[in-house]
Amino acid sequence: MKSENGISRKGRGVLGRRPRTRWQAEFPYHWDGDEQVSRRELLRFAVMASGTLFAATAGIVILSYLNPLRTVRRQAIASTSEVPRNGAHYFQYPTAEDEAVLLHLPEGRFVAYSSKCTHLSCAVYYDSQRQLLVCPCHEGVFDPRTGAPLAGPPQRSLPSITLSQEGTMVFAEQEMPQ
Amino acid sequence: MNNTRSILSETTGDVERSPSPGQVATVLTGLAIGILLMGIQLWLLTIALDLYLGGQDTYIWLLAVISGLVFLGGLLVLRVLTRRPRSQTRPRR
Repeated sequence: MKSENGISRKGRGVLGRRPRTRWQAEFPYHWDGDEQVSRRELLRFAVMASGTLFAATAGIVILSYLNPLRTVRRQAIASTSEVPRNGAHYFQYPTAEDEAVLLHLPEGRFVAYSSKCTHLSCAVYYDSQRQLLVCPCHEGVFDPRTGAPLAGPPQRSLPSITLSQEGTMVFAEQEMPQ
Repeated sequence: MNNTRSILSETTGDVERSPSPGQVATVLTGLAIGILLMGIQLWLLTIALDLYLGGQDTYIWLLAVISGLVFLGGLLVLRVLTRRPRSQTRPRR
């Protein structure tokens, strides 16, 4: 009797009615219903686990904003006034052995590429009259806007370098993990 | 004899109510899909961690959004499936 309320409430939920006999009051579950409850419990658990996984992913996102594990390596290339429109500036990036070229396109945009030809690594130069990047070794030609090969043996684009501008200075940027 | 019959009538018959047709299958299907999606969420979590530790965290937020959508879908399914069907009560004699 003392547990009448609790049991009968549960019993109503599972059996759909008040228990009539003593054993129903003590164990108010249908055996199929018991199985069904456990499946639902498992489903509830799965959803909770799903929420936990979401929370963990969101936590990583928050962590990546609060404490980014990367450093941006910047290297000053040249001042904008040093490179006239339709002109080029040659520099070394990311190491002193890697040749690169900064282009000031006729439309005013700055782009930079590694100046190693993707065919046999000859140094590529900017032909301002033809407005093309040219490899003198095997007459490979690249598009200065995209770095894509246009003619000759090269099949792959020139690797592009990410640029940023601060005031009049142009920087090459590279994100690196810590 | 009479005793046996009365015991049987206690354990079977109108006391017990089976789940409505297809209900168990629906719950099982929801469970199977849920566990599959949870595997995908786990995969998303590992990708997010990999990107974060690799310092390439530009698109990590997208992974969290997808994971959140899966979780919301799971909540919705849970809500739909745990709604108890109306009990078919018979008038008492």
